[in-house]
Amino acid sequence: MATRSRALQYIRTLARQKTVTRDELLKAFDSGLGEELEEVPVHKLGVAEILYYLGGGIVFFGIAILLGQNWSTLSFETKFLATFGSGIASYVVGLIFSRDARTESVSSAFHLISALATPLGLWVVFDHAGFDANSYGIQCLISGAMLGSHLLSLAVFKKNLFIVFSILFGAWLFFSLTSWMVGGAALFRDWKFYMYRVLAAGTSFMLIGYAFSKNKRRAPLSGFFYSFGVFGFLAAALALGGWNHDKNVFWELVYPGLIFAILFLSVHTKAKAFLYWGTFFLMAYILKITSEHFSTGLGWPLALVIAGLAMIAAGYMALSIKKKYLYSE
Amino acid sequence: MGFIKKNITLIVGISIPILMILFVAASIYLPGFFIHPKYNFLYATGYDIASCSPCLYSVENHKLVRNTINPSKGKSRPDQGDWRLHICDVAKNESKEISFEEARKLDLDPRQRSPDGFEVTYGSRSDGFPPFFFESTWDYNNPYLKGHNLNKRLNLQVSPSYRVNFRVIGWIK
Repeated sequence: MATRSRALQYIRTLARQKTVTRDELLKAFDSGLGEELEEVPVHKLGVAEILYYLGGGIVFFGIAILLGQNWSTLSFETKFLATFGSGIASYVVGLIFSRDARTESVSSAFHLISALATPLGLWVVFDHAGFDANSYGIQCLISGAMLGSHLLSLAVFKKNLFIVFSILFGAWLFFSLTSWMVGGAALFRDWKFYMYRVLAAGTSFMLIGYAFSKNKRRAPLSGFFYSFGVFGFLAAALALGGWNHDKNVFWELVYPGLIFAILFLSVHTKAKAFLYWGTFFLMAYILKITSEHFSTGLGWPLALVIAGLAMIAAGYMALSIKKKYLYSE
Repeated sequence: MGFIKKNITLIVGISIPILMILFVAASIYLPGFFIHPKYNFLYATGYDIASCSPCLYSVENHKLVRNTINPSKGKSRPDQGDWRLHICDVAKNESKEISFEEARKLDLDPRQRSPDGFEVTYGSRSDGFPPFFFESTWDYNNPYLKGHNLNKRLNLQVSPSYRVNFRVIGWIK
């Protein structure tokens, strides 16, 4: 209703200013009547849904803690039922709830429980079968099975939630598979290899987020993927720069360029995740560079003053960008 | 074609991890097809073998010699008498145990690196469920042959332990 009255008020203003004519308005109105409206249900995450997800997470932790505390006393059947059984049951309950518009939002919480409890159930099965369930090979099997089942669910039910879980299980498979392939070979230092993979996954998440932002049905997911993508990308690039004696000059020099590219993207995509994380990591970079290069020569107090001023400048820049480019009229 | 053009960002986004998997696979498995180390090596196995000083076996004038070890007082060093000698056939990635008398006939190069530029290194082991990563540790008894971009896991007859239980004695010329 607010949109309707605002639109009418805007038309009155335009008429007063003689910016549009009656004929133009009628033409626009008639052409609108002829178009078929694409009904796209857009769900934005509200407080209630956040609470549902929190509740789902707490239920999973309850199951995990129950298992952890009584691992030696519980039989395999009990462990299996508590994990895999509750995972399957939650999936079915989620499907039943998703059939009714009134309970659809609650179904997401049950799908979350299912997505967390089912892999734990598979872990219990592999552990009982005598495999090293923590090994990367078994992690590949679990994440691959979860990815397959969620892609199948997505193909059948076409729910956005299954896209999120498919991509998250895909990311788990990516990390596990690459770790399994490398095994114990010291190709390069493990944490660096991990950071390069986070960099790749972050870039992938940002691109997926951008692709979703262009699709009305998937648009609500873009913020989630932007946030995780930008965070992973900038955190990994910062870590690759190293620290003191173990630093990498290439990444240290390239990093400011990456941050400004991310800030530029916040204007292009109008996504606040790029602006917030870009500003946060710009501040982190200022602190890192100050403590590495200026704390000994200038002394800590002066270095802190410079870092503080630079951070104020970064914060001011972020606010300016937000006001100028990210607020929609 | 229209689908690809319309979803190019999504396709590129999904392709990045797949390309990285292919890159990792290529960098691990491809060198094995083209690079073939030539020199086999003699190694000894035994409990905590890396920290021996002096050691039971050493190489003098390209020949294996057995040293006399006096048990040091006050130290609970394990007995070196149960050390065993093995030859690793690098091409077949197999090991076989040999006697001291057989080993004495071998012409050995005791340097760390083989004449064709390879060395035996420890593997590493990391744990964790993504996104949680725990710093990796050395896996002392999971040896690799490393050099010229090759990282080949070796099947040595080593018992799993947190101690280093194998020691390369020399490359067989």
